[in-house]
Amino acid sequence: MSSEIWVVADVKADGEIRKVTFEVLSEARRKLGGSVCAVLLGNGVLNKASELASYGAEKIYVVDNPNLKDFNPDGYVKSLCELIKKHSPAVVLSGNTAFAEDYIPRVASGVGSGLAMDCVDIGMTDDGRLRIKRYSHSSRAISTQEFSGDGSAMIATVRPNSFKEEEAAGAGQIVNEDTGVTDADIRIKVLEMKTKESDRPELTEAERVVSGGRGLGSEENFNHIYDLADLLGAAVGATRAAVDAGYCPYDMQVGQTGKAVSPVLYVAVAISGSVQHFSGMGSSKVIVSINKDPEAPIFAKSDYGICGDLFQVLPPLIEELKKALAE
Amino acid sequence: MKIVVFITQTQDTEARIKVGSSGDSIDTEGMKWIMNPYDEFAVEEAIKTKEAYGGEVILITAGPSRASQVLLQGLAMGADSAVHILDEAIGETVDSLVISKLVASELAKIEGLDLVFTGMKIIDEESVQVGIQIAEELGIAHLALVSKVIGVKPDEKKLVCQKEIDGGSVSVEAPLPALITCPDAMNEPRYASVPNIMRAKRKPMKKVSLDDVDFGSLGITKDAVGKSGAKIKTVSLEVPEVERKLKIIKGSDETTVKGDEIAESAKELVKLLRDDAKVI
Repeated sequence: MSSEIWVVADVKADGEIRKVTFEVLSEARRKLGGSVCAVLLGNGVLNKASELASYGAEKIYVVDNPNLKDFNPDGYVKSLCELIKKHSPAVVLSGNTAFAEDYIPRVASGVGSGLAMDCVDIGMTDDGRLRIKRYSHSSRAISTQEFSGDGSAMIATVRPNSFKEEEAAGAGQIVNEDTGVTDADIRIKVLEMKTKESDRPELTEAERVVSGGRGLGSEENFNHIYDLADLLGAAVGATRAAVDAGYCPYDMQVGQTGKAVSPVLYVAVAISGSVQHFSGMGSSKVIVSINKDPEAPIFAKSDYGICGDLFQVLPPLIEELKKALAE
Repeated sequence: MKIVVFITQTQDTEARIKVGSSGDSIDTEGMKWIMNPYDEFAVEEAIKTKEAYGGEVILITAGPSRASQVLLQGLAMGADSAVHILDEAIGETVDSLVISKLVASELAKIEGLDLVFTGMKIIDEESVQVGIQIAEELGIAHLALVSKVIGVKPDEKKLVCQKEIDGGSVSVEAPLPALITCPDAMNEPRYASVPNIMRAKRKPMKKVSLDDVDFGSLGITKDAVGKSGAKIKTVSLEVPEVERKLKIIKGSDETTVKGDEIAESAKELVKLLRDDAKVI
C-alpha cells in the first residue's frame, strides 16, 4: 500500500470539474496527511489537469479515452479498478454525485474494498485508518465509522458543500495512464441523452437553495420560486409531492429519494416538512420556511419563518430582498 | 423470464429513534420493522414485468429471522418464491461488500436469471450501494435510478429503459441479465389482498444458513458477517438534536399573517436574515 490519497475528479457534462472535487482535495490535504493526488477520467479532459494542481494535487493520474463519455459506468469502473490495482493508494475519495453513486460501488467490489458513501467528515485514526462520519436513518442519526485497515484501498464519497475549498499549489505531475477500455467493455448503449442547460447553480453545490412544495398548486406558480431563487442566486429544489404533481422535473427533487443538499441558506416555500424531505436538507445551516399552516412540522425545524399564504407573502418579500441586496 | 428482487427489512425511520446502550446502533427495543420502502417499488416492477412477459419472481433477502416478514409481504404482493439468507449477525453489519457477496453467491445458483430489481436506497443505513455491488459480484450490467422500463426483449436478451442522471435523464439499452435500482417515481406498489396474504404462507421459502455458504470462493471469512471481520464498521452513533432558532413570524391571532401584517412580516424576515443570520 502506498501512502497516496486519491481524489477522483467529477467532471460535468459541459467538461467543467465540479466544485466538490476541489472541496475534497482541500479537506484531504488538511486532514489526511500523505501525498494527495487526483485522478482525472473522461473524454478530452487532459486540459483540466492544471485546475487540480492548483488545489494541491501532487500527481494527476489521467485516463483520457473516447469510451469514457456520457456518464456510462462500465469504462469508469474498469479504469479506476485498474489504477487502484496498479498503484495501491491508501485512500480513494470522490464527491457524492449521482454518477459516483452509480459507479463507485462497483469499484469497491472490484478491488475488494470497504466503502462509505455520502460522508460529511473525514479523518484518520492514529494507526492510519480512515474514519468518517455519515448520516443515517433519514439524516436523523449520524454515525462514525472506521475502516478495518486490512490493506485494501479505503474508499469513500463525500457530500458536496461539506468542506471549504482552498487553493494551494501542488506539484501537479501528470501521469498518463492507459487502462485499455475498448468498445467491448461498454455494455450499456446510450440511445438518447436529455440534459438541460441551466444558468442557475447546481442544486447540490449551491450556497443557497429555494424549494417549493405542492402548495404552489401548479407548474406556472412555480415561477414564484424561480423568481425568488434568481434574486438570491440560488438553486431551485422541490419536494417529492411537487415533482409527482408534475410542477417540476425529477432532478429537482430534494429528499430521501432525490438529492441531499447542504447549503448555507435553505428557503422552504409551502413545504410541510416530511421526514423524507428533511432527510435531504436537514444539514442546511439556516432554514427559512413560509407556510400558511401554523401547525406545519417544518416550523419546528426552522430558524426563521413566516406563517402566511405564499402568494401574499412572496411579492413583498421579494421587494424587501431587492432593497436589502441593493444596499 | 426469471426475475429476482433483492429486498431488505429496515427500521421505520419515521418512528422515534434513540441510541442503544452499546452506543453504536439505534435501540431496537419496540422498533417497527418494515420492508424498505424503495424495495416495494422493486417488487411491484418485478411483478409487472412478469405479468407482461411471463416467468417467475423470486425474492431474496439477507437478514436475521425477523426479516422473513418482508419476504411474506412480497410473496403476498405476488412473488412466487423466496430465499432467506438467515443469520442474526447480518443485522449488525454495515459492510455492503459482505451483504452483496452473500446475496450474489445465492443468485449465481439461479439458472437463466434475466433481471434483478432492488430499491435505490436502504433507508435506515441510507445505503445506495448494495444492489450495484451485487451486479459487480455477478458480473452483470446495472442500471441505477431507472424511472421507467420502456421495454424488455427477452428473446434478444435486451432491455430499454430511462434512467435519471445529474441534470436530466438518459435512455439506454442494456444486455440481460441486468440489475435495476428503483426510485419511488417508478410505479404505484400494489396492496396485498387478504386471500393473497394467506396464500403467501404456503409459497416456497428457502432458508440458507451461513454454514451453507462457501466463504472461500467469496474471498471473505465467516467472521466478516457481523462486526469483527468487516472492512468497515460503526464505532459510535448519535441522534443529534439540531437547535434551530424557531423565530417564526405569525399573525396576531397566532395563525397566518393578514392585512398590514404581511408587509411587516416580509420586512422583519429580511432584517433577520441580514442582521441575525447574516446570510444575505
